[in-house]
Formats: sequence, C-alpha cells, structure tokens
Amino acid sequence: MESFFALPMLLVLFGAFILMLLSHKKNISLKGFNYIGVFFLSIAAIIEYTTLSLESNFYLYETLFGHMFIVDKFATLFDLMFTMGAILTLLVNSDYFKSRSYFSGEYFALLLFSVFGMMMLSHAHELLTVFISLEIASLSIYTLVGFHKNKRVSSEAMMKYMILGSMTGAIFMLGVALIYGAVGSTSLDQIAIYVNTTPLADMTLLIVGASFLMVTIMFKLGAVPFHSWVIDVYHGAPYPITMFMASTFKIAIFAITLRLYIVSFTEINFIWIELLQGITILTLIGGSWLAISQNLVKRMLAGSSIVHSGYLLIGISSIGLGSEMAAPAVMFYLIAYFISAVGSFGILSFIASQSKRQMRYEDFKGFANRRPYMALMMSIFMLSLAGFPSTIGFLGKFYIFSSAIGSGQILLAGLGILTAFISVFYYFKLIAMMYFYESDDKQKIFPINVSTIIITIMAITVIWGGIGTSLIPFVPGADSFISFAKEAINSLS
Amino acid sequence: MMANILTTIIFLPLSVALFLGLFRADLKLLRIGAILSSLGTLGLTLLLLSHFNPEATQMQFVVNHAWIQNAGMHYKLGIDYLSLVILLLITFLMPLLYLYMLKESRKGYWYNMMLLQTGVTGAVLSLDLILFYLFWETMLLPIFVMIGKYGSSMRQYNSMKILLITVLGSMSMLFSILYIGYIYFETHAVWSFALSDLSSITFQARTSIWLAAGFLLAFAIKIPLVGFHTWMAPAYGSAPTPAVVIMSAIMAKLGIYGLWRFGFGLFSETLKFYEPTIIVLALIGLLYYAIRAITETNLRRMFAYSSGSHLSLIALGLFLSNIYAWGGSLYFIITHAIASAGVFMMIGLTYYRFKTIQIDELGGIASSAPIFTFFFAFFALSIAGLPGTGGFVAELLIIIGAFKESFIIGLFTATTMLSAMVYIFWMLQRTLFGVQKNICEFKDLNKKEILMLSPLVILLLVTGIAPSLFIPLFEPQLSISLNEILTLTQGAN
Repeated sequence: MESFFALPMLLVLFGAFILMLLSHKKNISLKGFNYIGVFFLSIAAIIEYTTLSLESNFYLYETLFGHMFIVDKFATLFDLMFTMGAILTLLVNSDYFKSRSYFSGEYFALLLFSVFGMMMLSHAHELLTVFISLEIASLSIYTLVGFHKNKRVSSEAMMKYMILGSMTGAIFMLGVALIYGAVGSTSLDQIAIYVNTTPLADMTLLIVGASFLMVTIMFKLGAVPFHSWVIDVYHGAPYPITMFMASTFKIAIFAITLRLYIVSFTEINFIWIELLQGITILTLIGGSWLAISQNLVKRMLAGSSIVHSGYLLIGISSIGLGSEMAAPAVMFYLIAYFISAVGSFGILSFIASQSKRQMRYEDFKGFANRRPYMALMMSIFMLSLAGFPSTIGFLGKFYIFSSAIGSGQILLAGLGILTAFISVFYYFKLIAMMYFYESDDKQKIFPINVSTIIITIMAITVIWGGIGTSLIPFVPGADSFISFAKEAINSLS
Repeated sequence: MMANILTTIIFLPLSVALFLGLFRADLKLLRIGAILSSLGTLGLTLLLLSHFNPEATQMQFVVNHAWIQNAGMHYKLGIDYLSLVILLLITFLMPLLYLYMLKESRKGYWYNMMLLQTGVTGAVLSLDLILFYLFWETMLLPIFVMIGKYGSSMRQYNSMKILLITVLGSMSMLFSILYIGYIYFETHAVWSFALSDLSSITFQARTSIWLAAGFLLAFAIKIPLVGFHTWMAPAYGSAPTPAVVIMSAIMAKLGIYGLWRFGFGLFSETLKFYEPTIIVLALIGLLYYAIRAITETNLRRMFAYSSGSHLSLIALGLFLSNIYAWGGSLYFIITHAIASAGVFMMIGLTYYRFKTIQIDELGGIASSAPIFTFFFAFFALSIAGLPGTGGFVAELLIIIGAFKESFIIGLFTATTMLSAMVYIFWMLQRTLFGVQKNICEFKDLNKKEILMLSPLVILLLVTGIAPSLFIPLFEPQLSISLNEILTLTQGAN
C-alpha cells in the first residue's frame, strides 16, 4: 500500500531515466519522446488522482528514510498539479517542439527530472531533503532555460538564473545549518516541537536561519527585491519552459512555503509579518510597474507573474496572522493562476510555432481577424488573469482579498485591489490590440490538434471555474475546487 | 414558468448569442436571432408585468439558489417597482435598437448587443452583491469592444479610458463588498452577500463612511457626477449609436439604480452624511454640464453633456428624499431614457446622411426633411422639458421637491433647468434651420425609421399628457420605501 503512494514519484523518475537512455537514438522522433514523457506522467497523474481520495498521513518508507518524506493529501494534491502541469506543457507545446530544431530527447528527460524534484519537494519533511529536491528541480530548469544554446538571450538567461539561484541555494544551506545548530535536527517535526517549547528569546539562531530560508523562497518566487532575474529569464527561456516555470515551478515553491509556514514556524510567524508585508507591497507595486513598462507580451506576462506572486504573498501573510481561510485561498489562487497561465502561454507558444518573431503588442494587431477563436480564448485568459468576474481568476482574488480583510490587513487588500486595477490596463491592452485594429489578412482555419484542444479545454475551465455552480449536480465546480484545497490544508496540521 | 421567468429574461439573449456563435450562424440568421431574442424578452417582461403585484412591498418573483456555497454567494434575483421600470426600459429599447442597426453587417456588433442586454438586465435584477458585481462588470465588456472596434475618432484610446475609469469605480465597490461580506461573516459565522442579509448589519459610523464611499465612487462614475465625468464626452463621442443609446438611456440610469438599491439599501444612515456633498455636486453638475453643452460643437458630445446634466438632476432628486423628488426622479429615469434614446438615434441618422455631426457643418435640414425635423425637435425639446412631454412632468416634480427641501436649492434647480432651453434651442436653430451647408441631399425619414421612432414619441406624449396613468402605479411602494429610509435616518439623528 505504501508503495502505491510512492509509485507516481518513482514512475516519473523511471520515465526520466528511460528518456535519457533513449535520447541518443536518432530514429525516435520528438513526438515519440514527447509521448513517452506524457505516458509516464499520465500514469503518475492517474494514480495520484485515485490516491487523493484515500486517507493518507504517514511517513514514506519510514524504516528506510525516517521522517524525510511524508505522504498526505496536501502533497498528493500538489503532485497532481505538477504532473498535470508537465503533461499540459508537453501537449500544448507539441507544435512548438516541431518548429524549433534545437529540441532533443534530453529535453524531455530534464523536464521529467524537474517534475520529480518538485514532487520530492512537496513530500519533503526535512530541510536537507528540501534542499536536495529544490536543487534537482532547479538544476533541470537551469538547463532547460538555456537549452537553445546558440541564442544569446537564452544563454544569458541561463547564466543569470543559475548564478543567482546557486547563490540563494548557498544561503538556504546556511539557513539549514543555523537551524540545525539551534534544534539539533533538520526534521520539520523536531523544528515544530522546538518552536513550540522554546521561549522566544532563546530562538534567535533559529529565527536567523529561518529568515535565510525565506530569502531563498522569496528569490524563487521572484518577489521584489529578489526579482531581478524574473523578466530576463522568462524572456530568454523557450516558451514551454517559461510556461512551465510560471505555472508549475512557482506552485512547487508555494508547496514548500505553505508546509514550512503551517507545520514548522506557526508559532513564530508573527516575527516576519511586517517584513513579509513590506515585501508584498514592494512586489505588488514593483511587479505592476515592470509589467506596465514591457513591450513584449512574454515579458509582460513575466512581469505580471511577479504581481501574482504578490497576491499569493498577501495570502501567506494572512496565514501568519491566523486567518483560517488564507491557506485554502492560496491553494485556490495557485490553481486559478496555473490554469490561466498554461492557457495564455500556450497560445503564445502556438503563435510562436508559426513564426520566429518576438511578439510585441503591435504584432497582435488584427489577430482577432486572423484567428477569431484564438483571440477569444486569449481574451478569456487575460480576463481571468486580470480577475474579471465570471472567470476563475476572480474567485481566486476574491478568496485572497477576503482572507486578507479577515486577518485585518485592510490596506494590503486595498493595495491588492489597486494593483488588480492596474493589471486591467496591461491585460486589456492586449485585448485592445487583438480586436481594435483591422487587418486585411484572411481568416485562418482553426487547427484542431492536441495543443488547440487543450487550450480550448483550459478556456472552458477558466469560465467554468468562475461560474461553476452548485446548481448543477455531479459536475465539479468552483466549490469543489476550494473544498479540495481545504482538505489538503487540513491534512497538514 | 413564472418561477424562472427572471432567469429567462436575463439569459435569453446570451444563450441565443452562444447558440448562434457555436454554430457560426450567418448574418441573416444572426439578425433574426437577435431580434427574436429581444422580442422574446419584451414579451416575457410584459407577461411579468401582468403578474406583477403593484401593492406588494416585497421583492417579487424571487429566485434564490446557492451559487458558490463556500463563499456564500447566491444566485438571487428579484424584482420590485424600481427594477421593473428599468427592465421595461431595456426590453422596450432593444428591439428599436435592433431595428436601427438592421443594416449592420458586422457580426460582432450583434453579438455584443446581445451580451450587453444580458449584462444590463442582470445588473438590474440581481439581489446578491457579488452577482450584481458580476453583471456590472460584464456589461462593461461589450461597451469596451463596441467603442474600441466599431467607434469613431480615437476609439481605441477612448474605450481604454472608459474601461479604466469605470473599472476603478467597480474595484472600489468590490473592496466595499468584500469588507461588508466579512463583517457579516464575523457576526454570523457564515458568508453571505445577499442584499437582504447585509442590510441588517449595523455598521460603525467610521467604517460605514469608508464603505459607502466605495459604492458611491462606482455609481458616481457611472452616472457621472461632476468631477467623475472625464470619460463621458470622449466615450459618447466615439461610441457607435446603439452603444451610446444604451450608455445614456440604461447604463447611466443603472448608476442611479445602484445608489437607490444598494446605496440606500445598505447605508441609508451614512448617505445622510454624504447628502450635502452629493446635492452640491449635482447642482454644480446641472450648471457645469449645461455650460459645456452650450459650448460644444459636436452634436453627440453636446447631448452627452446634456445627459450628464439631467442625470445630475435625477441624482439630486434622489438625495432630496421627499416623495415629490423621488417620484420625479423615477419618472425622469423613464422619460429621459426614452427621449435620449430618441435624440441619439436622430444624431445617428444625421451622421448616416451627412457623415458629420459637427453643428457648424449642419443646417437647413428643415427645408428638405420636415418629418425628420419634427422628430428631432420633438426629442430634443422633450429632453429640455417641453410641457406636454414626460420630461416636463418629471422636472416639475423634482423642482417641487427641491423647493420643499429648501428655497435656495429650489431656486437654483429651477433656474438651471432653463439653461437646458438655451442650448437646445440654439442647437435646433443652427442645425435644423438656416441655410444648408452640406451639398449632399438630405433624405427624409423612411418608413422603417418612422416605425422605429414613433413608439418613443407616443410614449413621451402619453407620459407627458397623462402622468396620472403611471404615477399611481409606483407611488405607494415609493412612499413606503421612502418612509422606511426616513424613519431609519431620523432614528440615527
């Protein structure tokens, strides 16, 4: 039974090795590699889906690993999101892979390795394991970012990301060492016990160590002032990787953040609150500024992903202030952002697979004439990212802001709503570009293939997640999304 | 049938649009579908009217379903005299607008009109704040697209302007809604956004002033009160005629409706605090907009200011809180909507014939097109309050109400009303009479156009000559709700 819960992780790892071994073979096409990856990921996802409803709260292979890995609903739900994220990334971009010559079998192996790292991360219950899994995921992603090695922006992005990322990795290690010095263990249980029993005055070492961990997490989230890499890296990376980083990798970071916050540092959360609120304010304002000032759509989405991290940080500081709704709100927002980001990046990569150009706002002029359905779906994703009602993004913001108000952070909620207002500008600018300029181009046929079908499903999910009601039985709507999130959070404590 | 009639009225146009869009209907079918949907809603509304009980003081035909249970959002609809009036206006105007744009060959135009109808109808009928917010934002989207895509002169810029300014208002409203919802959650331990639940909250004075400000900002922008009007003239100036008609006849009235329903429903005591400010703003608006209308050289912009001036009058009547002023306001909502619909259609027809609506390029229409002149002059004069038309009755009632409140306000209102005569008569003299400057021949109204405009004329005449047919219908309910508010506010003093 225990192995059944471990199976998804092993499957992904196994798939990664298989892909790596096969990658030197010339007679397997990219499509073949793609489907091998999807195959392993899908089986993993199906198993996770079945285990989601099972009662689970135990340490994985306790005799072997001790308390290093935990299995609970929280981890399983996140695993499901990672595998789904990877599957969607692979399927949506199948056109894009074909259009660029630099993709090869290793690419898919690396992607699976990073998914494996993320899954380890969501199960990790010990700081060294956290570090190792974070590095597995990050190292794979560094390589993926620089995969187009002949392109300068790509290599530059990789170097930038890797150097800064390794440095924060070192800071993380330092934090772990300090915590070990204070607690005498790196297990999250032991840390929680230590935090609960020790008087505040004696905890200086642990607090300093934990702050170092926070620095790393903030860096990975791209919170201002640790954001300097985000836009360049998102810009330099190939579309599939930008999409993977914005949706899936960010979720992985939040998985470990939530676990640390809720399991280990609950009692001393108040220490960071003001710092965290400060960072949140900077992130919201700085991110909005960056997003407004961009000219390339990809960079705008990168900037706006910083703003979305800001909203999520509002939720994190609400958790610190003891709001019960905050943690499910963060989970729900992650799901909402995940769906919208996959959709919007998916459309971008679809367009990019047809041409080699950088996409500026101006290039979208007349897009609605050429591809009305694509334009409609892009608008839906933009509406959702902007938090317009009747989309899932609105409900995400609704939960985040109401939990912020509930925990007394009225000003922060106000600022969040203000930045949501600013975001209307840069998202609607794209809609305006698509619809408000005529072009003489002929309408092109809507191609029906895997990518477009998935994008369509995402668009429908965005709408359904926003208005999905309890009126219609048996179809999971917005309500069941949040119930899932609540159950997952409850399994933590 | 009657149980779901409100839902049907709201969603009939949208579902027709979705259905037609899904099957990629051609223009002819689309046209028929749109017209049928508008006639269908008109028929249903008349059916509703025949079942409507004018004596009841409660909401009628209430529909209440759980929508998103975790957040206490309900799908709650209901109708009373106030929403019935606006609903009748919407359903009455839509077929005429379709008749106006019968030759329109751009498909998106028709889809947007149907979406717009669903948006405005939903906003009028919803009794749950989140549902209201949803429709409030939804009706903005088609307007945004119609101005930006089908408008004239700087359309992209102007549509972005109206979008951003209006969204700023609705975001501030969203903040207030969330906060009120949270206050309810704190006291009752369940979430609810139903108006009937939330109106039972007693707020702290300081909080309620801020919360009311959030709502007031949204409504003041929509009306628009002076100071919040910067979007108005550009948007009216570049919007296509059907959009202008909806904006002036329906959406601006929804600002008043929002004040009436949600402002007085939630904050009747707090609005006392804002009463002097709003009365002063409305009086300034009356005069300021009139002066701007006198100096304006573009017909559509001129009537935009005229519309602002009269909506200030309605807002004034609303805040004078006596039965004359309230009755006048409600009556003016009807008559001004009809008259301004007529005027903006006439302007559209003028543009259709002359390709210009600059006042100094027009002239001498009367000699070549007597029927056209009659209709134009009739609508314009009825906006100015010509005795015998509905506008006169309404303005008279508000002026009586103003005199009852205080002599100075009454005097000011009465004299500024005369300023409307100045710009209307001067405009009529310059456009209809004088020498024809435009070389192209001016065709008189054809049968279709007469058919489209005469219902408006008849209604204006009936409301003007026999107000006793209408006023007793809503007066009892009006005085009951007024008394409720008066007792509440006196209780506060």
